[in-house]
Parts: sequence; C-alpha cells; structure tokens
Amino acid sequence: MTGQRADAAAPTPTDAAASPFTMVTGDPSAMVCEGDVCFVPAAE
Amino acid sequence: MRSHAFHPTVTSPIKIDIWSDIACPWCYIGKRHLEAGIDALGADAPDVEIEYHSFELSPDTPLDFEGSTVEYLADRKGMPVERVEQMLQHVTGVAANAGLDYHFEKVAHTKTLKAHELLHFAKANGKQLELKERLLKAYFVEGGRVNRIDELVGYAAEVGLDADEARAALESGSFASEVQADIAQAGAYGINGVPFFVIDGKYGISGAQPAEVFSQAISQVAGERAA
Repeated sequence: MTGQRADAAAPTPTDAAASPFTMVTGDPSAMVCEGDVCFVPAAE
Repeated sequence: MRSHAFHPTVTSPIKIDIWSDIACPWCYIGKRHLEAGIDALGADAPDVEIEYHSFELSPDTPLDFEGSTVEYLADRKGMPVERVEQMLQHVTGVAANAGLDYHFEKVAHTKTLKAHELLHFAKANGKQLELKERLLKAYFVEGGRVNRIDELVGYAAEVGLDADEARAALESGSFASEVQADIAQAGAYGINGVPFFVIDGKYGISGAQPAEVFSQAISQVAGERAA
C-alpha cells in the first residue's frame, strides 16, 4: 500500500511510449501507487 | 464538479480527468493538492470540470481481509514490520500536512470494484465528487468497509443520492462495464500507477504532485486557449 519500492525491475507508473499526453515533470519525488505499494518514480 | 469564477478568455471548463483508486493513500493526498492548486489561482481561476475514473490498484485483494495494514503489507510483500510501520508513519505525516487525518490502524483492506461502481452511479447523478471524497474519508480516516453494499448505500445517501437506486445499481452491477472501461482506458494510455491526472486531454501529471504543479498546468492550458 505504501512505502518506497526498492526492486530495480519495478515498472514505471506510466508507459511513456503508450501515453498520448505531454507529461508534466513536476516534482520527481511525487509519490505514485501501483499494486500494493507506493513509490517514488524517480527512484526506480 | 468544482467550479470557479468565469474567465472571459475561456469558453468551456478545463477538463481534469483523474484515474484513482479508493485504496490509494496518495490519491487522497493528490486530491487535496489539486484542490489547493485550483484554490491558489484565486478569483481569476478558469472554470474546471473534474471527472474521476476507476483504477483498481490490487485486483487480488481479498474482499474481507481481517488483519491490520501492517499485517497486510508484511504478509503480502514480505516487508519487515518495522519498515512497514515507518512507511505508514511517513504517509500519515504527509497526509496530515495536506489536512488529512489518516488512521491506517483502522483501514479495512478490500476490493474496491463495488465502490467504483457506486462512483459511476454517482457520476450519472451529479454527485461523483462528493461521493469520491466520502469514500476516501471512509477508507483512510474511518476504517469503512467500502466493498459492502449496505455501507456503500449509506455513503451514497449521505451525499444526497437515492439510497434505493444506489442499492439497485450495486446489486445489479449495472455500472460494472463503466468501471472496466475506465480500467481498460488507463491501460490504453499506458497508466500503470495512480493518481494520474490529465489536464484538458493534453497534459499528463503522475503522482501526488505539489499544488503549484497543478496551478501551473491549469494556467498554462488557460493561456493556450486564450492565445
């Protein structure tokens, strides 16, 4: 549910290749939840 | 539906689509940050129209897990209990900074599909934003069982929805296809994590970003429309 994921093979929150949107970078430390865990995408 | 003062250069509300799950602590925090970002624009803020879309973070969550959040994460993820407790304290602190009183010791882990069905029912009846707030509060603050029809009907009634109609919608599953359509759309967009915000169908924002990120994105869209 929460916490910083540590596994190096973890997926990214958004597949940039599939996204039709211009992504706003914002704060790279903003948390995202995926599955049972939440993590900092920039730490992947 | 959140509305602000009409901006003379913007002729229609700026649409904000949000993929989110009830069982997502950063979705509730991100919701508060978005609201703060909109409020920060003040009287000149453009009209915005917010729509929530369904996302099921963990489809294999049991319907009625009876243990605590710590037990849930420690058992499922194999994480040390001390580490889980540290993480929950961190999230609770960030939530408090956003004005949210999280109580992970009360959280009742469950599948959220029925809650999403009710959110679609609420959308059809003009009460989606009110119900989204109510369900998130129920889950993270009150320890509500957001998979149980009786409790969901109670939340629906609290926000002004017809209880009998809400029950009928939940028991018949009449909005289940809308939930799955949202989830499929997220997949098509490459969205793997939430919260995920789409501003005016153009800009994607991932995660519980600070309020100013939302302010800037909305202002940019308003400026582009006016150009």
